[in-house]
Amino acid sequence: MKLNNKILISNAVLSLFMLLITGFGMYYVVNTTIFNELDSHLLQHKQDIQKQVLEDPSTLEEIVILGGLGSYEWIEINVYDESIPQNSNHFSTVDTIRYPDTSEVSEAYRKLKTTLTVGGEPHLLEIYEEVAAWEKISMTVLLSVLGALFLWVILLYVVNQFVFGRVLSPFYDTVERLEQISSPAQVGEPFPEPNTYEIRVLNRALNTMLSQIKSSFEDQKKFIQNASHELLTPLSIIRQKAEKMLSRPEKMDRKSLRRLNEIQHTAVRLTRLSNALLLISRVENRQYEMKDEICIAEVTKQVLTELRDFIELKGLTIGENYSDEITITGNRELIHSALYNIIQNAIKFSPEGAAVDISIEDGESGPAFSVRDEGTGIPEDMIDQVFDRFKKGEKLSGDTYSSPGLGLSIVQSICELHGFPCKAENNAVKGVTVSIFF
Amino acid sequence: MRALVVEDEPLLNRELKEQLLEEQFTVDTALDFTRAEDWIAGELYDLVLLDLSLPGGNGLELLKMIRQQRNSENTAVIILTARGEIDDRVQGLELGSDDYLSKPFAMPELRARIHAVLRRKFKISDNVITIGGLSVHLDHLQVSFEGQPLEMTDTEYKLLRYLFLNKNKTITRIALAEHIWGNKIDDRFSLDFINSHMKNIRKKLAESGVPDLIETVYGVGYKLNGYEA
Repeated sequence: MKLNNKILISNAVLSLFMLLITGFGMYYVVNTTIFNELDSHLLQHKQDIQKQVLEDPSTLEEIVILGGLGSYEWIEINVYDESIPQNSNHFSTVDTIRYPDTSEVSEAYRKLKTTLTVGGEPHLLEIYEEVAAWEKISMTVLLSVLGALFLWVILLYVVNQFVFGRVLSPFYDTVERLEQISSPAQVGEPFPEPNTYEIRVLNRALNTMLSQIKSSFEDQKKFIQNASHELLTPLSIIRQKAEKMLSRPEKMDRKSLRRLNEIQHTAVRLTRLSNALLLISRVENRQYEMKDEICIAEVTKQVLTELRDFIELKGLTIGENYSDEITITGNRELIHSALYNIIQNAIKFSPEGAAVDISIEDGESGPAFSVRDEGTGIPEDMIDQVFDRFKKGEKLSGDTYSSPGLGLSIVQSICELHGFPCKAENNAVKGVTVSIFF
Repeated sequence: MRALVVEDEPLLNRELKEQLLEEQFTVDTALDFTRAEDWIAGELYDLVLLDLSLPGGNGLELLKMIRQQRNSENTAVIILTARGEIDDRVQGLELGSDDYLSKPFAMPELRARIHAVLRRKFKISDNVITIGGLSVHLDHLQVSFEGQPLEMTDTEYKLLRYLFLNKNKTITRIALAEHIWGNKIDDRFSLDFINSHMKNIRKKLAESGVPDLIETVYGVGYKLNGYEA
């Protein structure tokens, strides 16, 4: 959930909760006030009656008659039945029907049950006062206050949405840009410095960090390039020395020959590795011009010519399905290298006499080049890493000399430079299909 | 044999590469100074075609680099210059280039110069090397036995030519593989193929009645024994 929505919603929920609490609180306070008022009114009434009958006990009959006539209150005076102690006051709220003959609707009344002394004789006095009218008033007050508050909460929500949106917009700009950065190479313009203190601090920190990451990434790439280049000369010296010694094999015993051969092989492998690293870092350092018009089928045919020896000696059948003409703009040498690596891998992992199918067609997922072999395939847990540098599928082959190594990493970096997605997937039956989508 | 084309003009670079491929060279190309520098540092070439004005540096620096390498006398360098750059040509020759060509030049002239520098490099007087009646023609890209041409694939021709040029020297399988497939060789992957190719060559030669000139040096490589007739 977005930050501003989170703040807005928690604000609104909190406000509504407060509103409910306030509502109940107000209802309680208003009702308590009303009942206190009613109670003191009832008590006053009782005192008036008491006073009157003390002065003149004969008016009791009159009070009883008149007391029954009040529209909002009425009085009942009965014989004292000892249900309450003398001279005590009992307040209660009762629901009762005043005229059971004519009405069936009960209403709420506040009732004072007390005793009245007339001429030394205690009587039971009950005074009723209607509550409903008061309750209506309190309800109306309560609802209108709550309504106003509710409207206020809604208004606040809308206004806040706008205000937060504005205040937080530089923050969201930063977040949005961060979402688009997936590698140090994509760090572009520095983040702006808005006038909100926290966001300015955040953006400054990001700028410092990203520029440091970017520059160390650049340094790292340059270092790889320089280091691989520097390795080439000493390696070539080792190779030449070994070659020279091997050209006079009669002077050596078999053990020494074998060791010397291993030295030579290792030096060659290191040279190839340095070459591959050099190529990848040059690609990542964008040191290639990308303005050649390249016909994919033509390059494929060239690659097949170069690999003809291997195809023939392994007895492979190459299926060529160039159904569509695909021409792209990019670097010819690199595209050649990418296609070479893919096809060479397919040849390398094919058993003798197998088929390798190459297709260039404008299919469902756009124009694509793909090579399908009938080799051992890639273990499923490796398939996502097959393009990653150095994470080679060691289970592909027991022979470490012919592991795919950096071949597919080269393919990936070239594809990335050109903006072409590439993928490798195991075929349903056997082998792998490697594709580039243009 | 391996060649490097250092030329910044892409079209000429491709044209030179194709010409050299026709001559059965294994070719690397560089369009700029740093790329050429990488190649020269890591690989040994029999022939370098070197343009002097390059993006990123002067071709003469590359020439110095080649000459500082060990065994660099094995690398023939032909400088490609624009007409009139006499100073460059002189300086190039002084620094150890084997020949120069003024642009524009015709491909037959380039071919002839390549053959000439290779003859000098391998100390042969003719474009044909004949040993035990078997001849390898450097210019016609052919192998013949007592005047009769033999059917050879490009790879077989390249292998034979390399063994002939380096007669009486043991050549390792890796060196042979690099001469056929250049820096793209994939170690073991290609070494087995050298054996298969050599087997085929021997079979073909034996079928044509050629005496067995090629010696297998156990665990190392191959050697062509004999002296020019």
